[in-house]
Amino acid sequence: MSYISVEHLKYRYPNTERLALNDLNFEIEKGEFIGIAGENGSGRSTLCQAFIGLVPGFFKGAYGGRVLIDGTEAGKTPVSRMCRKVGLVFQNPFNQLSGAKETVFEEIAFGLQNFGVPREEMTERVNEVLGLLDIEACRDQNPFDLSGGQMQRVALAGILAMKPDVIVLDEPTSQLDPAGSEEVFAAVDRMTEAGITIIMVEQKLEKLAEYCDRILLLHEGRQIAFDTPERIFSRPDLEDYGVKPPICTRLCRALGVKRADGCYPASHEEVRKLKTQFPEESLFQKKCVPDGKTKGQEACGGEVFQIGHLNFRYQEGTPVLRDVTLSLDSRSTAIVGQNGAGKTTLVKLLKGLLKPVGGSIWYGGEDMAGKTVAMLAGEVGYVFQNPDDQIFKYHVLDEVMFGPLNIGMKKEEAERHAREALKEVGLENLAAENPYDLELSERKLVAIASVLAMDTRVLILDEPTIAQDWKGRQIIGGIIQRLEKQGRTVVAILHDMDFVSEYFRRVIVMARGQVLADGTREAVFSRKEVLEKARIEEPSLMKLCKMLGYEKAYFQLKEGEEV
Amino acid sequence: MKNVFKTKLSTASLVLIPACIGINYLGKLFASVLKLPLWLDSIGTCIGGALGGPVIGGICGAANNLIYGFTTGDSITLVYALTSLGIGIAVGIMARLGRMEKLGGALLTAVVAGLVAVCISTPLNVLFWGGTTGNVWGDALFAATQAGGMPVALGSLLDEVVVDVPDKIITILVVFAILKGLPKKLTALYDVNDSIESLD
Amino acid sequence: MKSMSLYVDLDTWLTRMHPFTKLCYIATAIAASLIGGKLWVFGVFIGISLGMLVSGKIIKKVFPLIAFSFTILITIFLIHGLFNHENVTLLFAAGPLRFYREGMLYALRISCNVLNMLLAFAVFVLTTRPAELVEDLEQIGFSPKIGYVISSVFQIVPQMSGTMNTILDAQRSRGMETEGSLLTRAKSFLPLISPVVMSSLTNTRERAIALEIRGFEAGEKKTYLRDSSMKTVDRALCVCMVVLLAAAVAVRVML
Ligand SMILES: Nc1ncnc2c1ncn2[C@@H]1O[C@H](COP(=O)(O)OP(=O)(O)OP(=O)(O)O)[C@@H](O)[C@H]1O
Ligand SMILES: Nc1ncnc2c1ncn2[C@@H]1O[C@H](COP(=O)(O)OP(=O)(O)OP(=O)(O)O)[C@@H](O)[C@H]1O
Ligand SMILES: [Mg+2]
Ligand SMILES: [Mg+2]
Repeated sequence: MSYISVEHLKYRYPNTERLALNDLNFEIEKGEFIGIAGENGSGRSTLCQAFIGLVPGFFKGAYGGRVLIDGTEAGKTPVSRMCRKVGLVFQNPFNQLSGAKETVFEEIAFGLQNFGVPREEMTERVNEVLGLLDIEACRDQNPFDLSGGQMQRVALAGILAMKPDVIVLDEPTSQLDPAGSEEVFAAVDRMTEAGITIIMVEQKLEKLAEYCDRILLLHEGRQIAFDTPERIFSRPDLEDYGVKPPICTRLCRALGVKRADGCYPASHEEVRKLKTQFPEESLFQKKCVPDGKTKGQEACGGEVFQIGHLNFRYQEGTPVLRDVTLSLDSRSTAIVGQNGAGKTTLVKLLKGLLKPVGGSIWYGGEDMAGKTVAMLAGEVGYVFQNPDDQIFKYHVLDEVMFGPLNIGMKKEEAERHAREALKEVGLENLAAENPYDLELSERKLVAIASVLAMDTRVLILDEPTIAQDWKGRQIIGGIIQRLEKQGRTVVAILHDMDFVSEYFRRVIVMARGQVLADGTREAVFSRKEVLEKARIEEPSLMKLCKMLGYEKAYFQLKEGEEV
Repeated sequence: MKNVFKTKLSTASLVLIPACIGINYLGKLFASVLKLPLWLDSIGTCIGGALGGPVIGGICGAANNLIYGFTTGDSITLVYALTSLGIGIAVGIMARLGRMEKLGGALLTAVVAGLVAVCISTPLNVLFWGGTTGNVWGDALFAATQAGGMPVALGSLLDEVVVDVPDKIITILVVFAILKGLPKKLTALYDVNDSIESLD
Repeated sequence: MKSMSLYVDLDTWLTRMHPFTKLCYIATAIAASLIGGKLWVFGVFIGISLGMLVSGKIIKKVFPLIAFSFTILITIFLIHGLFNHENVTLLFAAGPLRFYREGMLYALRISCNVLNMLLAFAVFVLTTRPAELVEDLEQIGFSPKIGYVISSVFQIVPQMSGTMNTILDAQRSRGMETEGSLLTRAKSFLPLISPVVMSSLTNTRERAIALEIRGFEAGEKKTYLRDSSMKTVDRALCVCMVVLLAAAVAVRVML
């Protein structure tokens, strides 16, 4: 008998028609690292909740089949008992705090207190996870004053400190900087050696391929496959399920490099083993989208924002931005960098939501100090990092129409704009829903649509790809390209370097409140010391090509035809 | 009918309590910032009652005054814990009887809650404040009744009626609007009659 | 994020005193003066409270607390001084207003009671960290659920004002004017209330899940990061106060 076995698991949420989980059957051994892949709404989070008994215990609804974990039936055991064995980290870290503790340290200790762990051991364990997740510096901060990535680390730490036998992670690294997510993967991978079983939902398929023993592929609540990463990602029908294989597999597929068993390699390690099968660089170049598009090293289209010696702090004594001098023009620009570097703070200053402590910001030749946020609303659009911060109406359409109405559009015009924006993000049939009833990924798209509808000259996106599957990313990428073609400025904060290298012409790297580098993606991603300091990585394709010994930097594959 | 007092003392109900207390605070702040002749400090209690039933409503009300009393030094609030308890229970019962679904029922609920508040507060007012309520409009009336030679209790009762009943009507209307806008995913949590259906 | 409690973070003998001792003092101050019934008893306790507040270096923080109830006290003096039913002896007259001795005395009693309560509570509130009180209560056997509700209230109010600010940000960043004259600000306040309420209610759902998975209902005996047993001084003080109360009752019953 396996450690975890799922038999004919079926589940339907209350007040819905469709089965969120439809007849799942699989088994997991102790100490395995299992990945779960699928598009938005495929039932991944629901499955995660079924492991700990929240489905059906907390949500009620209709349930069938069973989930057995080490002999305990999750569906029939109260969550309070299951949580000793199974730890769950949610998709949205903003909601995972207990809300009763004043410091990060106490927050992490909360679970241990409930389990009655003795005081010395409690302190020791909390210190250990603080170190593991690199948040020692925040230990006395109020958990609600953290940056998005820091909060996600605290949420993770709270569960890891409880040392459960099975750890279920629902997109645990969505807001972490690249080095941070690598550390999280490596850390949980080390735990499997101690016999801890890891089940992880992730959009970062590269990472899943590298670390997972097996991957469960879900689609519309149904189990499509449960197999090794190579076999899953080599499936020709993968894109029908809304999943795009990782870059390794795509590269190998484009070049026809296969393993002996007929699968395409899915991880860097595998690619290295097959290094000899890869073609010469001159041949390989034909497989890449030519680099012409990114020649724009020079500023173009005139300056939009002019930032001079900008300083900012939330609290006396802890500077967040230190002497930042920048100018932004109409090139699409990505801001990347470590968690807590001050990226969100910087764009909030650009939007005027925060006021500089020192220095100045000029927009289109005028000093922003003399303007209210609302006066600039028609010019600069800003999509918040956490969509819940931004949504406040009871219907999606009203939400999207709010901005256009405020900047002086007539009702009909506003509605037309709103519907167009919803159509562009692919949510036109959710116009009458209550936004609070939507899923996180949909709420993020609603937030984007509500700013798009205002048709502003500048669009600022704070981590737009959170919780988005491949399709969602494509939509967002498409929007960025469209706006750029129309001569608008797009500024986005991102942790996904592949997305950055695909869609952005200019990259700004930040660390500890300062700008470390600024330039084209080629220029920035080739500076090793900068990447390390800002805790970011090269885009996967670039890393792969380097490993294969190619000299130039490549950012995009030409796909479709086999060699 | 037998469901009226049925309560799920689940974590979901428990976390509702602080949220409701926070909402009470917000309403009170709102009324004092805008200098409204109302309290507006029981919006949360009423939401708690309407969602969680009379028991949760009562706890929200009592806990609200106890916590603020003990922590903000506002010992006056403390005294009215009984009133809040009554309001929470009253709204909870009315909601469970299905009165919060239509506007008419909501108004009835408001009147009931207002009267409950009056009945409990009046003795407290007389005991601690010699009959005043601390609300300008109500106290003006009280002064008039005293000048006219009415007994303290009766004057104080009138004082409460003119303050509490309109206050509760506005409060319940706000609550009614909020409840109508709540997402289904949330209200499903507080449904007492649900059970897990089997798909086997 | 600002905390909602009035706790003043100082290191004085009052802040170091065990919360229960201070609670005990509140009970004694209120009960003994009510039982004693004489105005001078109120005076004694008001004096003790003031003394403690001064030596705890927090007397300045008390004035706003008292100021709040001052308006009510003035109304009481006015109404009862003018209109109380027992009024017979004229005390003084200010123009057409005639204040009577009986009504004024009645009002004075009420005011002393209120002032006594306020000050006793101030001693407690200004010198006790709420989180500490909650932990102490839990450690003597209060349900952690009650503890959670209390400490959560302290977090939720600043959190809601945080939410209010973010929603305000969201609204103004989409063109709603919220800065400027008082009228503009007042107008922007209304559309704010309902989303804040809504979002704090919807948050409760995820909050509940978050608690469940952290073992909130595990039913285990909880452990704490801090040790909080009462010191000998605290115990002695508590005993003294209980004796004092008993004496007050005894005196009252016998006389
Ligand atoms: N509380 C709920 N009530 C009703 N339906 C729900 C609820 N939660 C999720 N659903 C629905 O169940 C389906 C599966 O959702 P789930 O969150 O498991 O998907 P997911 O794969 O995790 O997607 P995402 O990428 O959005 O996180 C979706 O259609 C979703 O709308
Ligand atoms: N409201 C606040 N009060 C106090 N400190 C804050 C507040 N918001 C953020 N900070 C601190 O300011 C620093 C910068 O935060 P910011 O949100 O700008 O980071 P970020 O670069 O966007 O990070 P992430 O990638 O994690 O979102 C962090 O160290 C954070 O702890
Ligand atoms: Mg999910
Ligand atoms: Mg950020």
